[in-house]
Amino acid sequence: MAAGSTAAGGDLHGLLALGVLIAAAAVVAAVGRRVGIPTVPLYVLGGVLVGPHVAGAVGVPSIAPAEVLTLAEVGVVLLLFFLGLEFSIDRLIAARRKLSAAAAVDLFVNFPVGVAVGLLFGLGPLGAFLVGGIVYISSSAVITKSLVDLGWIADPEAEPVLGVLVAEDLVIAVYLALAVALVAGGSPVDALPRTAVALGFLIALALAAQLLAPRLAPYLGTSDEDLVVRTLSVALVISGLALSVGASEAVAGFFVGVGVGATPLHDRVADRIAPLRDAFAVVFFAWVGLNTDPVAVAGVAVPVVVAAVVSAPTKVVSGGIAGRLYDLSPRRSLRTGLALVPRGEFSLIIAALAATSPDPTIARVIPAFAVGYVLVMSFAGTIAMSEADRIERLLGVVDG
Amino acid sequence: MTVYESDLPGVGKKHEIELDGEERLVVVTHNTGKREVFRRKNADSDSVKLFELSDGLARTVGTVLEGAYFQPVATENIDTVLGGDALIEWYEVPDDSELAGETIEAADVRRRTGASIIAVEHGDEVTPNPDPGAGVRAGDTVVVIGSRSEVDSFHATFIESGGGDDVDVDADVLDGSDDGGS
Repeated sequence: MAAGSTAAGGDLHGLLALGVLIAAAAVVAAVGRRVGIPTVPLYVLGGVLVGPHVAGAVGVPSIAPAEVLTLAEVGVVLLLFFLGLEFSIDRLIAARRKLSAAAAVDLFVNFPVGVAVGLLFGLGPLGAFLVGGIVYISSSAVITKSLVDLGWIADPEAEPVLGVLVAEDLVIAVYLALAVALVAGGSPVDALPRTAVALGFLIALALAAQLLAPRLAPYLGTSDEDLVVRTLSVALVISGLALSVGASEAVAGFFVGVGVGATPLHDRVADRIAPLRDAFAVVFFAWVGLNTDPVAVAGVAVPVVVAAVVSAPTKVVSGGIAGRLYDLSPRRSLRTGLALVPRGEFSLIIAALAATSPDPTIARVIPAFAVGYVLVMSFAGTIAMSEADRIERLLGVVDG
Repeated sequence: MTVYESDLPGVGKKHEIELDGEERLVVVTHNTGKREVFRRKNADSDSVKLFELSDGLARTVGTVLEGAYFQPVATENIDTVLGGDALIEWYEVPDDSELAGETIEAADVRRRTGASIIAVEHGDEVTPNPDPGAGVRAGDTVVVIGSRSEVDSFHATFIESGGGDDVDVDADVLDGSDDGGS
């Protein structure tokens, strides 16, 4: 996501811009949380309010997205770094029999639904591919928080829910690597060498993460301060290099996380970097808001509603099948499905990628669609979880 | 009793401990160190959250549960086996014990039973290594050391005769531990 904003304007600069942006996100989140809306879309909303399309349009000082672009990129890198950190290939292999089937159902049900919606609304093959990703990927942040808040984390459905999320992490790493190459576009003659270099970089990084990371771990230092500074520098240098060779900085961040996760430093790094991730992720979400024109979101209301109406039930079904594959009762399987409905941060990362597309339709429509869709789905999914009892009775799914 | 462990990626770890029948105690240990404890009646019912503890508090509570401060063992009284045949036991002195109102010397504890009294607890006041002339009152807790047969003999002579039994938990044993910070 290089500077791809078409939005003009912005009177606030530097430190003040960043401060106002984070403050807006914090205020909206504080208000919205009272009515039970998850925080991810609220941060986006905070960004929308102080961005050029709302504050700028009414003549109040606003923030141009470019002001905080780099910090937003740090947010993306750290979000994916954390996925990598929690990602364990051994765990995936240990649960492969149940999980591979559950993950396959998840992918082959929900991705095509998104692709179909994209095609239905004339977004072309690339647009459909991007909508497919946005619709497919559930939100680890929103779902994990809801599982903990509602106490489902102690129930058997937590296992397939978190298992599917981990499998999605791997899929999204591959997907983003592909999507970056496809979005850059250009003639096949131009694209091929560039794509080869980008994919080569990521593959080399993935191998390094598996093979070299444990040996490099001692160089990350012993004190907490060294650990934070050095881990951050490794993550940013490598993801920055990825960006410069046309590869996905997010995927690079993911593999750096995998590498660190494979070392004994795993827990301490997670502990120390988590607050940084939280802070920079807020900047990223609010930055997405800065880029978002509410009028454009209203303009894609129909595709958003159609996508929501179709893809919420399909997630419930695919999640329900995952629950059955884990030998859960019908009621718990339904809960597994309901829990997987919220979409969030990863859909927004795909949106940010789409915004860099040279195709003006994709650059304009897909991000607006993603923001609208995430607003609806994160809210609807959270409500579905907290009202699970009622939904069970409504559907007549009660364990005897 | 079986304990089931499972990973909660992005959250931490979960341990399920089988209780009576189908009931299970579920402990969720977050990566942040927070512990949440749930109870689930059976496989079909939802877990009900009992309480949560910070990392430091959880360790302190865990240490108490483990019995590091106080161990009511399966035998009738608390005892601490020292190895070989030697052990230490705690007894509350019943009202009608021969020991009640006597000094250790007058009750002739050592000669009659072979066991020695190594401490007397009277309310909050603990007298370690009491003099032979030290008095023991009904309701005091005496800490006795000896071989198993000597300790049994002490029990038969001074405790059983009166029907006194287990010690009440004495808070000052725990005084050394603060809340562990939270």
